[in-house]
Amino acid sequence: MRRRDGAGCVVATLLAAAAFSFERPAHALDLGSEDSMASVEVHAFASQGFILSKDNNYLSADTTHGSFQFSELGVNLTKKLTDRFRVGLQLFAQDLGPTGNYNVRADWFYLDYRFTNWLGVRAGRVKIPFGLYNESVDIDSARAAVLLPQSIYPEEDRNYLLAQTGGEVYGFANLRKAGGLDYSLYGGTIFVDTTQPAGSTEQITSFNVPYVAGGRLLWETPLDGLRVGGSVQALRLDASILAGATAPSSPTTPATVSVQIPVKLWVASAEYTAGDLVLSAEYSRWYVSDETSNSAIFPSTPAITSERAYAMATYRAAPWLQPCVYYSVMFPDTTQRDGRQNVQHDVSTTLRFDLNSFWLLKLEGHYMFGTAGVDPSLNGGLPLASLAPAWGVLLVKTTAYF
Amino acid sequence: MSARAAFVLLFTVAAFALMAVCPSARAQRPAATGAAYLVIVHPGVGIQSLDRKSLEDVFLKRITSWSDGQIIHPADLAPDSPVRRAFTRDVLNRSVEAVKGYWQQRIFSGRDVPPPEFPHDEDVVQYVEHHEGGIGYVSGGAHVGGCRVVAVQ
Repeated sequence: MRRRDGAGCVVATLLAAAAFSFERPAHALDLGSEDSMASVEVHAFASQGFILSKDNNYLSADTTHGSFQFSELGVNLTKKLTDRFRVGLQLFAQDLGPTGNYNVRADWFYLDYRFTNWLGVRAGRVKIPFGLYNESVDIDSARAAVLLPQSIYPEEDRNYLLAQTGGEVYGFANLRKAGGLDYSLYGGTIFVDTTQPAGSTEQITSFNVPYVAGGRLLWETPLDGLRVGGSVQALRLDASILAGATAPSSPTTPATVSVQIPVKLWVASAEYTAGDLVLSAEYSRWYVSDETSNSAIFPSTPAITSERAYAMATYRAAPWLQPCVYYSVMFPDTTQRDGRQNVQHDVSTTLRFDLNSFWLLKLEGHYMFGTAGVDPSLNGGLPLASLAPAWGVLLVKTTAYF
Repeated sequence: MSARAAFVLLFTVAAFALMAVCPSARAQRPAATGAAYLVIVHPGVGIQSLDRKSLEDVFLKRITSWSDGQIIHPADLAPDSPVRRAFTRDVLNRSVEAVKGYWQQRIFSGRDVPPPEFPHDEDVVQYVEHHEGGIGYVSGGAHVGGCRVVAVQ
């Protein structure tokens, strides 16, 4: 378990403040009246979690002994410049195992102009509309589960899936008796910080995403509470790798290899809301291949198709209690389904307690079968086939927000 | 079992659960709540009635302008208001807590912010009166001042 640093103390302080402010209703912090030019709407959240896993480390190192490396902080400001024009910014810091380390980053920022109900445009770094919940992956207060189904919303792919820098066109079309269509199209790039894997003899000299593009269409059907839809996304990762650069005794001259990795994803989604009950299910396939300039040094691999799906139910039993259950499954390669390393089944149960209107506590248990969702680097570099096939995870998380 | 088979199986189970739950959920909804609340608009808003679905789109800010292009300014009562609970259950087909979750998603994903909330009927009336395109709801017996009451179909 790592000692908390300064940002960890901020998390603890904010959570303590929430604990001692039971009766105060939760509101945005409004700086100035709504109609004044000085008006800025401010919201924030702070989360601290605990992960304990059995047999395999998950999301963070040493979770088999318990880890508090599961913290999130966010603060956002939204300013309405005119009735149709808004700007916003969210700063976000996270610590989740090897990722985040409390580095503050702009989670999103945008300029948003809404021409009509059916046409609006956004520019900046904007959340990627993919599936039902991608935009709220890091928003603990917006859902019951601690971890969204990892088959479709994997924490380790957050850098590639959460937000893109570019533009988005969106709108809502009222189809009257046929319901309504919520749609968005986007295009831009993704900026990713790369780190050199320890002990690697290959050095990444450049890494960029020349494009990411996609769209989502959600149909609010005439059946009250039912929405269905689909999302697609395409991106390409380009990297230049200096092979043999850090091997002091390498007999060969270092050589630069260009690697292109095109990725395509789609997901089909359905969600039904009836009063306090929400049922949702999604099915997805992701296609990944790579092309290299020197297959002798960096061999091309055949295209891989992964298959992902989940079904989830949440029910608000009382204003302070919301249970959630889901089953999630992922096959990283549809041509190889046998063996623990080629599948990840995940059965999850959560209890969410709303202690007051701006403070919540969640308890969550996972029964896992398979190791395809496990990061080998968190497990001593052992092959996935040698890790325990049946294992479990317990998560406790508390979040303060306003 | 492949992911596709698992997905179909789970969706089938969910569909059965849905059929089992749906009638009771409907039965718990209040009957037409003409007496529970009144929907009011700014006198300049050129509508006489609204269907429930459109009202839901307005208060979830899926639509942000009236058919004549005027910007919509919705106003809510406070979350602990019984009128808010009745309106939310009846019009938005969900609980106040679920609506709060919806706005948490919108706020922290940078999509939008919720309508302003007011503790009393008279505050809502005042807000709607002073905002062209304004719309709100108040308890059935409230004085609506210069606002106009619209029918909910």
